[in-house]
Amino acid sequence: MTLRDAVAIAAGNLHRMKLRATLTTAGVVIAIGAFVAMLSFGAGNRKLITDRAESLGLLNTVQVMPSLPGDSLQAPPLDEVALARMQALPAVRLAYPLESLALDVEAAGESIRVDAQALLPSALGTRLFSQFRSGARPTGDREVLVTDRFLEKLDLPYEEADSLVGDTLFVSLRVASLDSALIRSFAPGEDYLSRLMAEVRVDSIADRDYRRRIAGRELSGALRRFMDGYLNGRIERDTLVVAGVLEGRFAGRNVPVKPLILSPAAAARFQNAGRPADPMTLFAAMERGELFEPSTHAGEGFAQITLDLDPYAPFEAARDSLVAWGYRYHSFAEQFAEIRRVFFFFQLALSALGLVALATAALGIVNTMLMSISERRREIGVLKSLGAHEGQIRGLFLAESAIIGAVGSGLGILLGWTVARIASAIAKAVMAREGAPMVELFATPGWLVIGSFLFGILVSLLAGAAPAARAARVDPVEALRGE
Amino acid sequence: MSHPLLICRDLARHYERGPQTVRALDGVSFEVEQGEFLALLGASGSGKSTLLNLLAGLDRPSAGRIELEGRDLSAFSRRELAAYRAHRVGMVFQAFNLLPQYTARENVALALVFDGSHHGERRELAAAMLERLGLGERMDHRPADLSGGEQQRVAIARALVSRPDLLFADEPTGNLDQENSARISELLAEFNREGLTVVMVTHDRSLAGNSARRILELEYGRVVDERRTRGEVSS
Repeated sequence: MTLRDAVAIAAGNLHRMKLRATLTTAGVVIAIGAFVAMLSFGAGNRKLITDRAESLGLLNTVQVMPSLPGDSLQAPPLDEVALARMQALPAVRLAYPLESLALDVEAAGESIRVDAQALLPSALGTRLFSQFRSGARPTGDREVLVTDRFLEKLDLPYEEADSLVGDTLFVSLRVASLDSALIRSFAPGEDYLSRLMAEVRVDSIADRDYRRRIAGRELSGALRRFMDGYLNGRIERDTLVVAGVLEGRFAGRNVPVKPLILSPAAAARFQNAGRPADPMTLFAAMERGELFEPSTHAGEGFAQITLDLDPYAPFEAARDSLVAWGYRYHSFAEQFAEIRRVFFFFQLALSALGLVALATAALGIVNTMLMSISERRREIGVLKSLGAHEGQIRGLFLAESAIIGAVGSGLGILLGWTVARIASAIAKAVMAREGAPMVELFATPGWLVIGSFLFGILVSLLAGAAPAARAARVDPVEALRGE
Repeated sequence: MSHPLLICRDLARHYERGPQTVRALDGVSFEVEQGEFLALLGASGSGKSTLLNLLAGLDRPSAGRIELEGRDLSAFSRRELAAYRAHRVGMVFQAFNLLPQYTARENVALALVFDGSHHGERRELAAAMLERLGLGERMDHRPADLSGGEQQRVAIARALVSRPDLLFADEPTGNLDQENSARISELLAEFNREGLTVVMVTHDRSLAGNSARRILELEYGRVVDERRTRGEVSS
């Protein structure tokens, strides 16, 4: 007996009991439909995140950071030397520094403070900076890119990104100045001397404590004026034009993309103007004992170096070098491996729900097959008298289960796909109504279609296995005598 | 000079029915010669159908042995017994046992599914056998559309389409009128003349006497008489 014979005989028998076979198959259709619809949701979410990460090149991006003060191995500073060493690592296509500076920006009638970074054209060519909401890459030093986070700071909806392209940004940086501090500390004001003369009691000058109190107060005043003058020393200004708006919704907070991206030339103007007058920078400089030294920005080292990797080359060797040098690193690919694990368990949970339906359908198959066997004992006896052995009888009944499984799975996949499409359309309508960006939450990839089809058949075969074994054991003498 | 195709030695078949042991067959010994027409005659419950099932390899004896060309049939594995039924044996039943969902031709071709024949060959062989049995016009009819005599001829066609050596017929005319019974017994005799060994179970003495060359009479699971006849084949 060939497989074709088994399928033909099994199909004929199912055709004979149409209603029962249809109802049993309907159970499988619903179960596989639920299974596919649920896994489509899981697969859709996974695809959404993975596609986003891949389109942004996040999976090829690694951030390298200096070692922390308490680390056992202290890495060399992230300077030009380190940059060159990293550029030479295997699998590294491009290594570029992240130099961040806080700038005051006036745009769209708003005044905001944003973090900015400088990027070389080669870095701008990586996939991390390839997803434009509007506009295009800058073509000159006076042009800048902004990101979604820039729009958020301006309270501009993403849809209005177009309106920002071509706009002029008035960018300024308050720079700390020692000159201004000295002038301010020694120029306390026009009425200073007359006020001092009026305040000081001549008869008490002979008292040592009084002199000390007056001197302390005046010294504190001078120091306050010094700091005030230092922090408000000078304002460096520039006007820049927005060339494009980068999409960075998914990129989130941990991606090395600042809201404002300048050309290195524009950034250098601000960086060379002096030490930015923000307390954190000053505190850091003070800690290094460089507060009153001329600002040597490059000498401080970069806060971060970003590596753009070759997606087809293994990262392990480069990673081992980074670790050996003592640097900390953050690999989005490694983070995504974790995310994928989470999605695996998420899909497992979803499929468990589908499995409940499939288990019910399997019981339907068991019931149908057992009924079929009890009704067809004579037929089994006849087949055995014609020379069918137990394996062939088992094969015939398994073929019936497999046909129910195959037809049920095929139609179930169609049902699941349809349900997923309807749910997707509803979800998109809700997103549109809420003003949220429309994303595809459902996906029915090839592996899900093929996997569900094979799984449906497998479950049907498992459900039919015990009844088929029972059919194979039917005693032909008893079966023929029953007639 | 013909030689034994089957040899039964002290064949017994017992069934446990609660505390009782039913001795359906109890120490039966005989031989079936190549090309002979043997009738197993007996009343209901005499053990003749039990004996036929043992000879056809559908059942195994409780004791004794059946030798097929010197090989002990009871030592055959289940798969070997199935192969024996597929290649060496044809069976005809009183109740015809045709499968109602198939046409006459499909029923006949079904016997070749387990014989290893190719699909196209099966259809041709089935059609040829049905033509030979005068059912050329009825081969696409289902059993429900055929008379009892036609159904039994389809059953004979199914039993013989794989060219077996042995035909076991269990009351083949039991459900038929006189005219159809005569036709069926003529057919069996005709195939026997062509060399087919036929073992027929019947309770009909005249059928046994007219068709078979030899009669074994059973009573309560034992052979009580063995005689040669002047049946068609021997005449």
